[in-house]
Amino acid sequence: MAQTTSTHRVTFGDGNTHCGNIANSFNTTVYNSDEDAKIMHWLSPLQPENRHHSVRADRFEGVGNWLLETSELWEWRGGEGGADEAVLFCFGDPGVGKTHLR
Amino acid sequence: MAGNTSSLVIDSLCDQAREEDIVVAWVYCDFNALQEQTIINIMGAILKRLVGRKIPDDIRRAFQEGRRPLLPDLMRMLRIAIASLPQVFICIDALDECLPKDLPELLGSLRDIIRESPRTRIFLTGRPHVNEVVRRYFTAAVAIPTSPDPDDIRNYLEMRLDKDDEPEAMNDDLRAEIVTTIQEKMSNM
Repeated sequence: MAQTTSTHRVTFGDGNTHCGNIANSFNTTVYNSDEDAKIMHWLSPLQPENRHHSVRADRFEGVGNWLLETSELWEWRGGEGGADEAVLFCFGDPGVGKTHLR
Repeated sequence: MAGNTSSLVIDSLCDQAREEDIVVAWVYCDFNALQEQTIINIMGAILKRLVGRKIPDDIRRAFQEGRRPLLPDLMRMLRIAIASLPQVFICIDALDECLPKDLPELLGSLRDIIRESPRTRIFLTGRPHVNEVVRRYFTAAVAIPTSPDPDDIRNYLEMRLDKDDEPEAMNDDLRAEIVTTIQEKMSNM
């Protein structure tokens, strides 16, 4: 079976283009072909973009923003450290989970 | 607010990704999706994200062979994907909503990724009880407690009350009572 795809350069990292903050941009990934869509589903049926979209839609602006200002977070995302500084773990009880308020 | 912390960090990293050469991948673990949420599917979801819309030939070939990917297959593909990118951020929300028996394998796989690509950054959230198992795999992990702030709680409740489906059943006294009661209960947790 002739594969027109065999000449494709192996390129990663296009993932950023639909990463952003524009509402509804998470559900609109369009693949080049049916096969591409099938490959994506084969890799995983999970759709974290959709979940992210619904979590952020339920978010209240400002809540939890303090974390983004902490030096721990900035040092971690600065990424200058090696493997030892690779992991940041935020722990807490679920607090005012939306399930508790319904 | 389930996923709140992670969603903020993910958005903030995605903002950064527009300016800088980083790629952000994430998975929200969910009690309600335990069947789908295998380690293989979690790693596969991260890989999907890193691959973006240009599927590499090795992945295409593996798909055309027609068998389900196993964890070693995905880890190999992930290693190749990560090595080809300047820097990768991986966020896993709610480790406690992963089956306890799966957690060691998940954390072990993430540890393998870091050993291979030490610049990779990993953001994890979970209830306090998973701290111990996280430490087992990442002894130097920085841990930040994220107990809800009383002001955050009040603001969030006000927002939810504003969206109340039956505003005619609400009055100022009831509203105040709801906010105070929940704030008190939260601070006693």
